[in-house]
Amino acid sequence: MTLELLAELLLMPLVAFIIGMLMVLMMRKIAAGIQRRIGPPFFQPLYDIIKLYGKQTQISHGLIHEIGVIMAVGGYIAAETLLPVPGMNGIADKGGIITLAYMMMVPSLGLALGVGQCANPNGSIGISRALTAMLAYDIPFMIVMFGAGYLYDTTNLADMIAIQQQQGLASWGIVQTPLLAFAGLIAMQAMLGKQPFEVYVAPAEIATGPMVEMSGKFLGGLFVMQCFQLYTVAVLYTTLFLGGGENWLTFLVKIFAVIAIPMAIAFLFPRYRTEDLLRLMWKWPVVLGLMGLAVIMK
Amino acid sequence: MTPLDLLLLIAAFTVVVMLVSGQLRSIAGENAVALYAAQGLALLPMAGLGYGTVAEVPASISIPIMQHTLHWRFDGLSWFFALITIGAALLSSWFTAGEWAEKFRARGGSMRLFHSTLALNVFSMLLLLASGDLLSLFIGWELVSWASFLMMGLAGGQALRYAMRYLSYAIAGAMAVLVGLAMVYSQTGSFDYAALAAAVPHMSNNQIWLLLLLFTAGFGVKMAMIPLHLWQAKAYAETPGPGAAFLGAISSRMGLFAIIVVVLQLIGFARLLDLSIPFTLLNARDLLAWIAVFTIIFPTFTALRQHDARRLLAWHGIGQGGYMLIGILSMDALGSAGGLMHIFNHATYQAMLFMSVTAVLHRTGTSDLNQLGGLVVRMPLSFLAMLVGIIGLAGLPPMNGFVSKWMIYRSLMDDGSPLLFIGAVIGTLGTILSVYKLIHNTFLGQLRTEHVEIEEAPSSMLIPMMILAAIVFLTGYFPGVVLDWVAAAQAAIGLPPLTHTLGGVPEINGGLDMIWVVSILLAGFGIGALIFFSGNRHQRIHQLDNYAGGHFLSADVRYQYSDNFYPGLMHLIGPWYRASFQWLERGFLSLLETLSTLMQGGYRAAHPAFYLLAVMVLSLAWVVWL
Repeated sequence: MTLELLAELLLMPLVAFIIGMLMVLMMRKIAAGIQRRIGPPFFQPLYDIIKLYGKQTQISHGLIHEIGVIMAVGGYIAAETLLPVPGMNGIADKGGIITLAYMMMVPSLGLALGVGQCANPNGSIGISRALTAMLAYDIPFMIVMFGAGYLYDTTNLADMIAIQQQQGLASWGIVQTPLLAFAGLIAMQAMLGKQPFEVYVAPAEIATGPMVEMSGKFLGGLFVMQCFQLYTVAVLYTTLFLGGGENWLTFLVKIFAVIAIPMAIAFLFPRYRTEDLLRLMWKWPVVLGLMGLAVIMK
Repeated sequence: MTPLDLLLLIAAFTVVVMLVSGQLRSIAGENAVALYAAQGLALLPMAGLGYGTVAEVPASISIPIMQHTLHWRFDGLSWFFALITIGAALLSSWFTAGEWAEKFRARGGSMRLFHSTLALNVFSMLLLLASGDLLSLFIGWELVSWASFLMMGLAGGQALRYAMRYLSYAIAGAMAVLVGLAMVYSQTGSFDYAALAAAVPHMSNNQIWLLLLLFTAGFGVKMAMIPLHLWQAKAYAETPGPGAAFLGAISSRMGLFAIIVVVLQLIGFARLLDLSIPFTLLNARDLLAWIAVFTIIFPTFTALRQHDARRLLAWHGIGQGGYMLIGILSMDALGSAGGLMHIFNHATYQAMLFMSVTAVLHRTGTSDLNQLGGLVVRMPLSFLAMLVGIIGLAGLPPMNGFVSKWMIYRSLMDDGSPLLFIGAVIGTLGTILSVYKLIHNTFLGQLRTEHVEIEEAPSSMLIPMMILAAIVFLTGYFPGVVLDWVAAAQAAIGLPPLTHTLGGVPEINGGLDMIWVVSILLAGFGIGALIFFSGNRHQRIHQLDNYAGGHFLSADVRYQYSDNFYPGLMHLIGPWYRASFQWLERGFLSLLETLSTLMQGGYRAAHPAFYLLAVMVLSLAWVVWL
């Protein structure tokens, strides 16, 4: 039993990492398709990571810079064990959605600390924007979390999956509360910091923001973090609204679709400024989310 | 002699010793630490209160006044609060025992005054916590108010002005409480807790409303409940560092204690639900819960705009009070345990944060966030203290602040109160933004040339900070330690005690086990470190070796981003501050000013506060001899 759990705890982040790399690949392919390019080869994300970790020039701005990157990766590795996947529940029963939601802020804090130590105003501006964006999308996100917790009457993610799978399609979150599911989709897109919500990166304006002083394995760490982030958000959404995975095949189809569909649409939009992002997030997803709550709570 | 007698005696003895020997350079700080440690040890014989094996420890002293008797006793709730109070005093006085006191003296401060004021604060708080009837509660309440006034005014000058402002609030609050007491007396003919509790069912709803208003407003002043919060941040920020750590940790919670005892325990949870507000679907409990939520949101977002580290923390102190109140108001085992536990958690990280800021102030001479930066390379342990503190304050795992907030969120979820839940979340998110600004502008970013030679804080400051950091982390890792005391306190005020384990809360529909969560997080960091160090070797470079768009940086170039840290956010919500909060403040202030002008004109008193005091003493005498 304990050995099995230990194996799960090791396997879950590993699986997450591999799927996350595939998601990065898919994202790049979608972007390439929209821009009529061919896009990168299959193993490109892996090559990128190996290249970044192996580079000769590795610039550190101090201990906190290093710890920040470690926290950014480590926080997600820990968060993956709270997310049930087919056949593995990890420690989902020890945490639940509230813990997961807050655990996902730990990597952001680590990144923010690491960037702060770099003493580059571009980086700090990027973090200021990223944290503002967090304030924007986390309000609808927490509304969605509340709605899901209320709907299934549990905060345990494994139980949520079990409820949806036992009662079939009609009990899926997306069927029961389409409004919340839609609000969650918008919040999720902003959470990923992808187009059109990538103002904190803004390469032409603040020189990629948080990444400005990140080279070699520091940037590699952020790359790995991005893989985990895509996976985490996709699995969380699938768990809350799409019934989780009955088996690995449906699981993979669902989580890739969760990333691919909004990404393909969102790529077409221009970038939002920080205050517009706030306005957008506090208006539509919040209103939709509250309406969704009103419907399920009656 | 009961254990409570012993505790109060030692506390009183501490005041005397500090009055006599507080100015002695070599031993005053050490004496204070030893005496607070003795008070802490005196809590041990009463530990049964903290674990629910003993219900009450009486004091053998009782003072008869007319047909009434003032008496004192400790229950689980008092013990829990006393533990925090004495712990905060112990570590705050430890912080003073060394360089801080030297500097304080050099600037003309009196350590005798500081030490005896701190001791007086502790003594009066213990007296308040031990109160066994409404009259002794009121006496303790007044003592606490005056003691904290002394502490706030200690620095003189500006601080005294803010302290006087507090006094105006406090006395107004005391008057409200006094009227409430007079009302209780006229209804029941007694000041006993039991008499009030027995009379409540027979009182009309209007009477209860009036009592509720008087008591919550009166006690709410101390815990800085909206809209009575305006005095607190400035007064605490100007208090000398360790004093601010002590006040910030526990002083305001005395207001919460009194509200718990009088409003929730005596008037009763059930009665609050009965009091509905006409034309709305709300009842008195909802009203208080909404006040609590606004007490979370407004001060937190005010903190976000502060440039001074001490004010920023003081504003957060007000905001966190809202979490405690909303938790306790949930009335279920989980939420009220979260609220009570948050008192302990907040005390630990708030004291540590104030200490860290004071250490920086001690070394650099400023707490202005625009004048600092990059200090992590010079003061790494103070940085660590602040880091642990802000993670706790923001309520992220693995620190203790997460556990209490988790319980509060969870109970709001169970309750089905989405709007209160969202309010609490907005407060947490605002806190994250604000505390990152604090740590970024103090310890991260560019080190200023004038701070290049600065040394780490002395050990007299570091040791209490590190002790607190350990407590914040360990009570997050093993929250069951604190939850034992919390459960006893819940039982003492008639709430269902929380079922808990060492690691957290086992709930059927989704619990929390911090031992697992924190272990996994640490393991994650470990693997993260392995991945990081599997990369090629890195080299550390000087901070001026930076990407500056093609320019060369030199030491005299300020290359730091600190002022107006969240422009995008302020662009949107900036106008909201002007529109509502400052209007409220001005309105409040001009009302106070008008009143004080009237009083000055009418009675030619130098300070309306002292006139109010005279009235209060007279009315107290009137009530006692009635």
